[in-house]
Amino acid sequence: MDRKRVAGPELSVAPLVEYPRDHKRWTPQDEQRHDTKRQPEDMRPIYLKTGLINQANGSAYIELEKTKLACGVYGPRPGKRTGFSGHGVLNCEIKFATFSCAKRRGHMRDPQEKELSQILSQALTPAVRLDLVPKSTIDIFITVLESDGWGSCVAAAITAASVALAHAGIEMLDLVAGCSAAYIPSGPSIASPTPSATDATNATGPSLAPRIFMDADLEEEKYEQGAIVLAYMPSLNEVTHMLQSGKAEGSIVSQSVEHCVEACNKIYAVMHHALVESVGENK
Amino acid sequence: MASEPTNLAISPAFTFSASTFQKLHPLEYFRKFASQGVRPDGRLLSSFRPTTVHYGVITTADGSAMVRMGGTTVVCGVKAEVAEPRLHAPDQGYLVPNVELSPICSSAFRPGAPSEQAQVVSEQIHRVLQESKVLDLKELCIEEGKAVWSLWVDVVCVSYDGNICDAALTSVMAALSNVRIRKPTYEEGVVKVAGVDLLDDENSFRLNLARTPLSVSFALLDTDLILLADPNSAEESISQGQIVITLDETGQLCAVSKVGAASSSQQLLKQCIERARERSQELRRIMNQEQ
Amino acid sequence: MTSVADAVVPGQRLGHVQEFNAGVGTYSHQNFLYASVVGVKQITTISSDELPVLSVQRENTQSAMPDIDAIVTCKVVRVNPRFAAVNIMVVDGKPCTDDFQGIIRVQDVRATEKDKVKIYNSFRPGDIVRAQVISLGDARSYYLSTAANELGVIFGTSVAGGSLVPISWQEMQCTKTKAIEPRKCAKPM
Repeated sequence: MDRKRVAGPELSVAPLVEYPRDHKRWTPQDEQRHDTKRQPEDMRPIYLKTGLINQANGSAYIELEKTKLACGVYGPRPGKRTGFSGHGVLNCEIKFATFSCAKRRGHMRDPQEKELSQILSQALTPAVRLDLVPKSTIDIFITVLESDGWGSCVAAAITAASVALAHAGIEMLDLVAGCSAAYIPSGPSIASPTPSATDATNATGPSLAPRIFMDADLEEEKYEQGAIVLAYMPSLNEVTHMLQSGKAEGSIVSQSVEHCVEACNKIYAVMHHALVESVGENK
Repeated sequence: MASEPTNLAISPAFTFSASTFQKLHPLEYFRKFASQGVRPDGRLLSSFRPTTVHYGVITTADGSAMVRMGGTTVVCGVKAEVAEPRLHAPDQGYLVPNVELSPICSSAFRPGAPSEQAQVVSEQIHRVLQESKVLDLKELCIEEGKAVWSLWVDVVCVSYDGNICDAALTSVMAALSNVRIRKPTYEEGVVKVAGVDLLDDENSFRLNLARTPLSVSFALLDTDLILLADPNSAEESISQGQIVITLDETGQLCAVSKVGAASSSQQLLKQCIERARERSQELRRIMNQEQ
Repeated sequence: MTSVADAVVPGQRLGHVQEFNAGVGTYSHQNFLYASVVGVKQITTISSDELPVLSVQRENTQSAMPDIDAIVTCKVVRVNPRFAAVNIMVVDGKPCTDDFQGIIRVQDVRATEKDKVKIYNSFRPGDIVRAQVISLGDARSYYLSTAANELGVIFGTSVAGGSLVPISWQEMQCTKTKAIEPRKCAKPM
């Protein structure tokens, strides 16, 4: 039991949501995407701002419609005592607010958050000049206030963290933009049963190839057969991290990597603007 | 920023830049400003920082609010879940406030278990909600002895610049007033709610808040007998005590607390209550404006 | 001279290595110069036979951290016969967000007669000391030195609680009681 917090009931569950029969929900069979406005290759509009946490050395806030998260960078500051090192350490910690998801999350860090933290530090470390900050730690803390899709959340965290690092005046090789895409099976492959279960690859022929939805939201993610998150340094043209999950053919993966790189270049323009905007303010 | 005092010397022989002097001698630095009747951030001793309240900022929560007081930003989200009632109170729900001061908001907080300060603020808010009887917990009953609502009221501090007490309580009250819970049906041990896109008075209910207590904090500098309204984090770290006055909308006191070693006269306390009354009215006006 | 149009962000390509020399806030990679910080691009010409230096003037300064040869201001937290442990609070005139730890070893207190130095007659807990970083030190602390005239205690509090004023390079006097206490004083600059 957690003695350091105000205690509530030991067990509480979300109520069962019952939809009426005529309730129309989005399914992959629909012609349009879940929010009806976007084309498959469209991302949600990004709002990105620096400097909202005045006690941090650098900070950024990012919003992709419902996905909202804040990032604070502290450091370089004295690291944990783990022997002498000529290189600095980049430490990332991501935390979901308890109210950030459909289901309430716990206060403690769960394995998913630990995994995310690791992805984040792997995606950002190649871009930071840690050789210039010996013995020190740069801490990146992220609080997810609201999550609308796991992939978009990771991507937004990468983007925001790299902007916050630059805002903290830390020397970097390049900014890192994060982008996500989901493979949504085309309608018929779900609706009609496959003729031969043993030969699944034949059944998903070229006409039934999954559609690639950029920056999928939570409702779309429920139907995904796989997803990709790409972290990319736009001006050096290098990928720092790629996470592909689920089943997809090689051609689909390489196609979505292309899409993500293209999207990252668009995100870079937003990042550039957010950082340059702060230069203008002080002048 | 206020104009900086010119003589930033700790001894006649050495002078420093303003930021260095503040780091080495925070109290002396503050006194240089206070002697001219202003604070380092340009405020008068008695003035509060600009405050904004935004409602419904988190759609995954059943009620939410974001409060900004100067450099302090907090987000409060309320989640309603179903739980079994306590044995001795079979018709009462739960109202569980918790404040998270995570390392993102200031370098003063480290990862891990809640800091002492976070525990104190959580407990203060819990006590105010409970003892001022803000919400009749019977309202949260779904089926007596079987199921009740448990309202998890979680405050996340995104940016910490002092006076977390006022910001957190304001966000809690704003978020509670923003709560809409779907009307539940209880059937054979299962609580169901209807899935609808738009919540209205037909399919959901709001909370009946008996009163809206808001707190107003002051920092005390004992040695100088200075009272600082709405202290920021630099001022909190040099102050020796804090006075927190909690008032409801009729101006009635809900809680008064004074912590720290600083001594305060009866007159000073009266002065605080007087000023807290004005400030809490102003806070209420800001809250109502945004709604 | 400068305009927002000259504002650059990390990774932005600024020029070719054959045209410019890399200055602060930039790095070279595969024959090109790139910005490594957010700031304003600047080109400085030193002489006609040298390439102009391309640098980026930082917009947001990085949080200060000690570097070799840097002058730091620190507070003594504890002393023992071998060294004085300090918290480094200011580096080259810039305050650190979080204090770094450092030590002044007994052999680094002054330049001459090192064998006669007693830490207790040089520093007391609570003193504000100006020192120079001599090495990155061990896993825990930076190594500092006060072996120069302008380095040493710049502010201290006497046993009686008054502030201390230097009267010689190794003595300070309490302003309240006029008592004299030993210190390794810094010569006012």
